[in-house]
Amino acid sequence: MIAPSPQPPTERVIVRVEGVHKAFRQGTTVTPVLNDVELIVRGGDCVFLAGPSGSGKTTLLSIIGCICSADRGRISILDVDIATLGFPELAALRRDRIGFVFQRFHLVRGLTALENVCVPLILRGDEWPAARRRALPLLEAVGLENKAKTHPRNMSAGQCQRVAIARALAADPDLILADEPTASLDATNGQEVMELLRRLITERGKTAIVVTHDQRIFHYADKVYWLENGRIVQTREPVGAEMSNKGSRANHEIGNV
Amino acid sequence: MWSIAFKTLIADRGKLLTALIGVVFSTVLMNVQGGFFVGLIRRASLLVDHGQADIWVGHQKMHNVDLPRDIPRRWIHRLRSISGVKRAEPYLLGVADMTLPSGGFEGVVVVGVDQESLLGSAWNLRAGRPDSILASEGVVVDQCEYDKLEQPKLGEIREIGGRRARIVAMSNGIMGFLVFPYIFTTYERAAGYLKKSPESVSYFLVQLEPGADAGQVCDEIRRRVPEVDAFPKDEYSWISVAYWMTRTGLGISFGAATLLGLIVGMVIVAQTLYASVLDRMGEFAALKAIGAREQQVYSILFAQALSLALVGSAVGLLVVMAIQALYSTPRAPIMIPWWLSLGSCALVLVICLVSSVLPYQRIRRVDPLLVLQS
Repeated sequence: MIAPSPQPPTERVIVRVEGVHKAFRQGTTVTPVLNDVELIVRGGDCVFLAGPSGSGKTTLLSIIGCICSADRGRISILDVDIATLGFPELAALRRDRIGFVFQRFHLVRGLTALENVCVPLILRGDEWPAARRRALPLLEAVGLENKAKTHPRNMSAGQCQRVAIARALAADPDLILADEPTASLDATNGQEVMELLRRLITERGKTAIVVTHDQRIFHYADKVYWLENGRIVQTREPVGAEMSNKGSRANHEIGNV
Repeated sequence: MWSIAFKTLIADRGKLLTALIGVVFSTVLMNVQGGFFVGLIRRASLLVDHGQADIWVGHQKMHNVDLPRDIPRRWIHRLRSISGVKRAEPYLLGVADMTLPSGGFEGVVVVGVDQESLLGSAWNLRAGRPDSILASEGVVVDQCEYDKLEQPKLGEIREIGGRRARIVAMSNGIMGFLVFPYIFTTYERAAGYLKKSPESVSYFLVQLEPGADAGQVCDEIRRRVPEVDAFPKDEYSWISVAYWMTRTGLGISFGAATLLGLIVGMVIVAQTLYASVLDRMGEFAALKAIGAREQQVYSILFAQALSLALVGSAVGLLVVMAIQALYSTPRAPIMIPWWLSLGSCALVLVICLVSSVLPYQRIRRVDPLLVLQS
């Protein structure tokens, strides 16, 4: 069990990625995905990883989320080198310190909205009544208190993503990882969900890394890292500030925001 | 975890129903198939099971109650002198012809019992009493053999082995493993029908004093009368059953059919569970991604398999009871002993657990990365 940490103060390094390389092998074919990636995410930051398909942003997110390992390099989450952790410790780290929001929500179909929010708490050993007491305010926070007993099949995509956001916050993690959280939603719902996610992250002092290719939501980021061919080629910080130009195409795309 | 397991199991009612039908089908198939087999094969030991004797004594190498060899009646005195023996009586079995109203004949197994004790006489009488056979020319026939014996009636006169026989009582459900109907009468009259000397018997039926050990008495009988063999009732019952099971293809064919039912049921249950897990692979991957340990994921599968097995077996046994009540007849009895029901439930449980292990192997390999790639 990883000990809970106090709310991350600004400037505290939550995620440190140093010289990470990753390649996928299929038979004799080796496809490099990440190439010497360096990244630091500080407490309270809301960082976006953007880039074209195949640029490695989801792979980088999964490595930071301890569900995929790097071939080379060092990744520290809350000052813990994840290479030193075994499978049970990695599972505990994901459960207690990291909240996930997936593109397709991945809610448990048989459970109600409230029960889905309870899942991370049940996984860590809470009893159902205690988990429900803790989950209900989160459901209220995402505006779905009237859907507590509704099953995901009877909810809209936007509502499902809100439940997923509440679930990600249930275990009071330090870090929220979101993979294309607006990709399955229409423009209006996408904006609303991102607005909600950003607000909750700020209010609760969480740190977030969001993978997206939706340039319409870039303004919610404190910093946008642009990946191409497995490298971070451009960084924008903060919103509206001049970007460090490492690639003309990326510069052009981010410049359109 | 169990709560999550039950809720997700119930949520998909279509798949739950399919899996339950598989389990119920397996349970019913095993019990009914096995019940028919037990019902049929137990006929081979019907006389032993209902014969009121604690020990059966017969010719050396006796192997089947319906196929005895004669032994001298005079040995009965040696049996009666053995400590622990309360009573020893002669019992005669043999095949003779009975005349039919149409002018034909039907082979019957004549059973002769001691007229004093009536040990080994007919049971489950629907008309008349056990001692009705003491009446002149009295015999008992079974009403289930109406067709073979061409509707025998109480008081009707027939001939058995060329001698007069009067039907004085009717039993119900005394149908043996052989094709010949049983006819019960007194020992002396049976000897006449079978044209045997009254000095020969097929068996001695022994009843024990209270507290006497059947095994020890059998040993003493073998020692005192080396020409005979003696078995406690249960053992001779099994010997008679085993005779038909091992010397015919009956055990193999019925066993194979039951096994086939088991395999069919297992395939249905396994396939349903496996498909259900594959369908929810993304869900399991998400659970692993958000921090579920492998044991937690497996406990969900285990709980679901266990619930399916218990509910499916219970429903299956209710269906079996209904089938038994509706369709079990003396001609085709469905006998379901407790060990068959218990064994089938245990097997179903094993099938369900094994079926949950198969997809577990798949789940173990599930990369939580899957949820980020879908």
